[in-house]
Amino acid sequence: MSYAIETEGLVKVYKQRWTKREMRAVDGISLKVEPGATFGLLGPNGAGKTTFVKMLLACSHPTSGRAMVFGKDSWIPESRRSIGYLPENHRFPTYLTGAGMLDFYGALSGVDAATRKVRIPELLDMVGLDRWGTTRLGKYSKGMLQRVGLAQALIHEPKLLVLDEPSDGVDPVGRKQIRDILHRLEEKGVTIFLNSHLLQEVELFCRDVAIIRKGKVALEGTVKDLTSEGGYRVDVEHVSDNLAAELKSRAKGVVSNNGTLQFLYNTREEANKAFDTVRAANCEVTAMTKASSTLEEVFIRTVEQK
Amino acid sequence: MVTLALILDTVREAMARKVFWAFFFASSAILLFFMFIMHVDVVNGMVASMTIFQARGHVNGNMSAEKLVQNAQGGLSVFLYTVGMGLAIFASAGLISAVFEPGRVELVLSKPVGRTKILLGRYFGNLVIVAANLFYLTLGVWVIFGIKVGVWRPHILLASVVTLFMFSVMLTFILLTAVLWESAAVSIIATFALIVISGVLAAKSMLERLLSSEFSRDVVATLYYALPKIPDGGNILRLVIMGQPVDSWMPIWSTALFGVIALGSGLWIFSKRNF
Repeated sequence: MSYAIETEGLVKVYKQRWTKREMRAVDGISLKVEPGATFGLLGPNGAGKTTFVKMLLACSHPTSGRAMVFGKDSWIPESRRSIGYLPENHRFPTYLTGAGMLDFYGALSGVDAATRKVRIPELLDMVGLDRWGTTRLGKYSKGMLQRVGLAQALIHEPKLLVLDEPSDGVDPVGRKQIRDILHRLEEKGVTIFLNSHLLQEVELFCRDVAIIRKGKVALEGTVKDLTSEGGYRVDVEHVSDNLAAELKSRAKGVVSNNGTLQFLYNTREEANKAFDTVRAANCEVTAMTKASSTLEEVFIRTVEQK
Repeated sequence: MVTLALILDTVREAMARKVFWAFFFASSAILLFFMFIMHVDVVNGMVASMTIFQARGHVNGNMSAEKLVQNAQGGLSVFLYTVGMGLAIFASAGLISAVFEPGRVELVLSKPVGRTKILLGRYFGNLVIVAANLFYLTLGVWVIFGIKVGVWRPHILLASVVTLFMFSVMLTFILLTAVLWESAAVSIIATFALIVISGVLAAKSMLERLLSSEFSRDVVATLYYALPKIPDGGNILRLVIMGQPVDSWMPIWSTALFGVIALGSGLWIFSKRNF
């Protein structure tokens, strides 16, 4: 099976011209994204996300390793026919109108004039800019530019959509609109590769994620797997030191939060025993829940690892 | 389709930057001058009188209409070869370096288009803008003089080809410097520096006489043959306008060779660049 994206030991080393000092922006990333997946690439600033994406799109040459898109080396122009891309900090030509810009990038993407004529009004309508097609991009707000940028990425009906911070500068309504469009594309089987620092957005939309740290994949898996810790939490208040010590002796972790002690147990049985111990001491359990982490917590734990 | 889209995009950007219109209005002003303000009376192939702004000018008693057209074409061609080319360099540097703007270059590179095509599209788009303006003006002048004076000298059209050729070589150098430094200002400075150096090297014979060391003379000779020969091109343009035979086409083919190498280098460096 050919993956939508497949990289093998992708490395990018930048050398300073005069000092010859090396900086490994991407350090041996091997990643596989299945066709039809919704994949989120996460990482702190300077982790190598953008460099990775640029190598995927042939904007930057890998020092070693290779990147493939649907089985074709990304360096071959033909491989990019199946990619729609919306870059971060894009600068669309402001002398073009919305429709003119779509026409230009559509032509570069190999869409013939007759198809462009049909597709452009459809796309403008889809991103809610149908009345702005004849207005120059210089007059668009940032949110509108993001939306017309998304339309640009879709002009040639790509099989893979690479989006770099797609919600940047978009208001909550626009953000939902973009999410809805992406969901519709997902249903059509389009692979969506999202590079975003908005963890909540990635958690809401993506099925798979990879967290990059210092140019390497630090963690990879489905959002569901990464956020379910496999444990139970028992919250108690106003317990004696002795009882707290007894509960702690069987817990794998304890957190104090505004006077509430949160004990984390591996199994439901252990949590129930702790519950009984608390009740036997005439104290109250304020909550008992299946423990899980947010993607943000997983992300912070991963990037803060020594 | 892709190449045409890239060329049209360059033309659209030039129009938006008012460059195209500035050239167009300047050319139109010159054409209007020749069309409505200058009046020439020709009798038996000789200029009988000439009026500009209703003021009758003194005409040398034995100036032929042919000579008048030759002088007018010569003046205009020299103007286009010097001032026109200078203005075109100013305008083109910005259009070429705009390709490398962050946020714009990534978008174009992400499309299924080879890097060579992207840069050549910009190059030819630029050339189309300058050629359109150049031939609009020279064709217009040729037609106006043909109708008013009855002399249809095609030499100005040939001279335009020489000017366009020299500009196309300058544009390869602009492209090379833009790929290297991504700056319109640096491209302009470097290109004008090249023109100045070319002007100095045009006095090769004199320089060789003045230089005492063999090495220095070899350096001057090497640079002379390697770099574009703008003044020599101007001399060829003068001969073309006068309808005289050109002794040597070496300045043209050696300049063309420089252009091919500069363009090839620019394309090769662009293909290796990281953005």
